[in-house]
Amino acid sequence: MRPLTLWRYEARRAGWAALLGPPVAVALGVSAALVNTMPGDATKARILLGALEMAVPLAAGVGCASLVGRDPAVELQLAAPTPYRVTLLRRLAVTLVWAAMVAGLTAAVLIATGWWARWPANHGPFAGQLTWAAPTVGLGAVGFVAGAVFRSPAAAGALVSTVWTFQQLFADLAQEHLPGRLLYLFATTRGPVPGDWTGNRLALLGAAATLVALALVVLARSERLIGEEDE
Amino acid sequence: MTSQTARALGASLRYEFRMQVRKPSVWIVPALTVVLFLLIGGSLLRDLFDPDESSDDARTTVVGLAVQVHTLLSIGYGCLLADRLVRDDRLRVAPILDATPARPSARLVGKYLGAGAATAVPILAVYFGFAAAYAVHTGAPDALGWALATCAVVIVPGLLFVAAFALAVPLIMPAPLFRVFFVGYWLWGNVVAPDMMPTLARTLIHPLGGYPLDALLDFHGIDGGDTWAGPVPGATLNFLRPDPTPTTAWLSIAVLLALAAVALAGGHAVRARRA
Repeated sequence: MRPLTLWRYEARRAGWAALLGPPVAVALGVSAALVNTMPGDATKARILLGALEMAVPLAAGVGCASLVGRDPAVELQLAAPTPYRVTLLRRLAVTLVWAAMVAGLTAAVLIATGWWARWPANHGPFAGQLTWAAPTVGLGAVGFVAGAVFRSPAAAGALVSTVWTFQQLFADLAQEHLPGRLLYLFATTRGPVPGDWTGNRLALLGAAATLVALALVVLARSERLIGEEDE
Repeated sequence: MTSQTARALGASLRYEFRMQVRKPSVWIVPALTVVLFLLIGGSLLRDLFDPDESSDDARTTVVGLAVQVHTLLSIGYGCLLADRLVRDDRLRVAPILDATPARPSARLVGKYLGAGAATAVPILAVYFGFAAAYAVHTGAPDALGWALATCAVVIVPGLLFVAAFALAVPLIMPAPLFRVFFVGYWLWGNVVAPDMMPTLARTLIHPLGGYPLDALLDFHGIDGGDTWAGPVPGATLNFLRPDPTPTTAWLSIAVLLALAAVALAGGHAVRARRA
């Protein structure tokens, strides 16, 4: 199979939600910024950056949570020369790269129009891309490992959504201590300690790598994947 | 309702309940949510037994507990229910079920009530567990009465509203995409301040139960300084925010249940068109 055909196939198997989620999330975030009635450009810029830091990771996280348990005849996948977990890793990559393309394009538009710079804690146009990259990869990894453990997109999606909502509703409490601050997803738009930003972004990426490795270990036990998902 | 319809409804309700309540994920997701709740300091759950943090008033404490449990556990509730109705099509059992004498509408209502009740069992277990522990710890048995009342006028209508949309909406979009929309809606329609952007928060369509909390349970936040319903100066959609009175509180509950019925009827119509 030609590589491009393969990747196109994996994109289809990742599902519509993985493809539609990030652009829909950006559209909703931009709409929220447009209808916001609070005075000041900084508030509007914060909501626009929030679309990248909050909405895109949620869409990507739920997309990644829905990768395991989608194949109707997983026995065929397990019998193929390519290990199934490599196939799932490719779908994870497709989901995250697509979210990154959407977020990167949105960020470029925000930088070009000057809205990026209007949020004081923006961390510049280059390192600032970690605004969306770190939480997207972090929440994506949470979704992937939850999907691998539960084998149920419903449970994994519920867990990703709950973690995301927790950090939204308890922003201050979640960042009270250093470990919580390091793993806080929305440090650019809601982080009270700007000095922790770089550490936070790197910690999220590190945690994501660890979680994906854990998911691959869980997925190596292929007999767990046979049979219907946890209905 | 004919007796056959009633039997079909009862049978599918019992079956869906048993099927859902045995799913490990229905228990694991709320359990992990409670663990997160306990880990993050300062939340009411952890401070329930700390006399310095919790309110002296049993009613305020158990109603505040309900608000926190309802806000957070409803997210998992909606996400877990999102695959229930589309599942019949995915497993290709829908045509077999359609061939039985049981009417599709009765099966749909049975599935709605059965799966919805089963997914609510862990949430109610968490809530009443903590309320009972509080009642024993503080020697205030009336806490359990307030917990029952809060459950009846706030949690149950909210969950019925969520369950109807969680069942019906995935018929017209992929279930994961519904989960993203639902979480976004839950935050926007319940928590966002009305003077920040147009929102359904504090309106009659408020699944967190602002009107019943305010007018039926006289709850104004743990500190007593919050308002959960009614008009906000300068906010849009204020026509949906009448002053909170017992009548508007019951009206709010009726609106939530009516919208749930509309969502279910819409889901039924979509399935009927596809059949």
